[in-house]
Amino acid sequence: MKAYGSSFLSRPRYGFVIDVARCIDCRACLVACRAENQVPLGNTRIWVRDLGLQGAFPDLSQTYVPTNCMHCDEPPCVEVCTSGATYKDPETGLVLVDQEACIGCGLCVEACPYDARYLDPQRGVVDKCNGCLARLERGEQPACVATCLGGARLFGDLNDPESDVAKTLGKAGRAQQLVTAETNPGPNIHYLNGDVQQTGLLPRAPRYASAETFWRKAAVPAVLAALALSFLGQAAAFTRQLLTGEKEFDE
Amino acid sequence: MSHDDCIPLAERKRLREKMIKKHNLANILTHWFNVAMWALLLPTGLAILSSPRLGLVPEGWQTLMRNLFGGTANLVRFHYSLGLLWLAVLTFNILVGFRRYFVPFSRERMLLDRDDVEWLKVKPLQMIGLARDRRLPPQDVYNAGQKLYMYAVIAGTMGIGATGLVLTFHRFIPWPGLIQWALPIHFGAVGLVVAGLIVHVYMGAVFPEEKEAFFSMFTGKVSAWYARRHHAKWYWRKALEEAEWEERVLEGGRRLRAAPAEAEPAVPVEAG
Repeated sequence: MKAYGSSFLSRPRYGFVIDVARCIDCRACLVACRAENQVPLGNTRIWVRDLGLQGAFPDLSQTYVPTNCMHCDEPPCVEVCTSGATYKDPETGLVLVDQEACIGCGLCVEACPYDARYLDPQRGVVDKCNGCLARLERGEQPACVATCLGGARLFGDLNDPESDVAKTLGKAGRAQQLVTAETNPGPNIHYLNGDVQQTGLLPRAPRYASAETFWRKAAVPAVLAALALSFLGQAAAFTRQLLTGEKEFDE
Repeated sequence: MSHDDCIPLAERKRLREKMIKKHNLANILTHWFNVAMWALLLPTGLAILSSPRLGLVPEGWQTLMRNLFGGTANLVRFHYSLGLLWLAVLTFNILVGFRRYFVPFSRERMLLDRDDVEWLKVKPLQMIGLARDRRLPPQDVYNAGQKLYMYAVIAGTMGIGATGLVLTFHRFIPWPGLIQWALPIHFGAVGLVVAGLIVHVYMGAVFPEEKEAFFSMFTGKVSAWYARRHHAKWYWRKALEEAEWEERVLEGGRRLRAAPAEAEPAVPVEAG
């Protein structure tokens, strides 16, 4: 369940390349995603953020930034998951949730620096972008990519030099990721043609629920200490028993 | 043990051969059912805990169990299905045997008395080599240490069961905070019981003075010698019960001799 280390370059690493200059905030991707993945109303797996009007009249511009799960190289959500229900898929590099194994504790929702996850109240499990894995397996593009009018979204294997995403990224020369000096989990959405590193979009530090902190800092050491004490006591008694030797009759 | 100091050899031999019933069949079966459930729930439960932030379980064990059960989801399913079975059987046993077993057991075998408190003061000192001259007070069916462990197991089982139900039926629980707190409590309660379990298994199965305790978990019986040395209060109560029973039998015989016309002697049928 480790995050991917040095060998990750040799594996597929699916991710998005998003050209913000091409996004017109039509939100067809949100609708397509909801329809494809049966996302309940009130929740969403993807967003289009509006950076607002920039510049002074008449040189005005407005930038829309599509976001969703960044399928990070070292995802804090995977690290915090109790059961391994959230994992980094070795086949695709996507961060996935096995909803049959998920117990809906929401530790990962707290941990995600991009707030890209939500708890589905109906099913009591966590849900998020899975790169439309079912479509991917049929050789199709994710719903948000397939439906994008302006062609702002691209999806593919960033480690495959022949893929659209790798080629586009190579040609663009300059791309941005949403990272800060403190929080850089290695996100796999690369933004082109715009300055997206702005307040409201940049990741926050991973948050850890108090129960998780208690578990890690108090419960685990306490249990280990109790086990060690108990084991040592037992081992001492057993050693003494062996040294004394067996008596046939207990007097 | 000064009250055993002057037992003649022939009496000691007789006591060794004489067996007294300590555990009834319901207790024996529940005990081994519990053992089987722990043997299956502990390794699968540990294997589920894969968060590297906890750093608890070797990755090899996580992978082995996931491969054995066919993935994380099936491992989790196995764990909670068996957990539900465990809780259901324990609850069933308590409810079905409530008046016959549970209430008498709780009243006669579980409560701490003054001797137990004294025992708890002396025994720990003696275990580290102090207070050798102080006498251990006589103990009942279970000694004070066993009773304390019993409390830990009961508290632990209730904690494990309650939090286990929360985790199993997570989809019906609208407060993620509750599910989050159920995790460390579930873990901590298991840790509490397992810490005691190490001593329990050692004392029950390996420690020479308690050798009979192990076999009694199969036969239900311990020798009168063992009972008298380790559980004197219980032994003498049993001895008194037996004497009273004998007295009743003899009384029937005496009455038969006095008035032979009454062919039926009033011997109680209950066993001694």
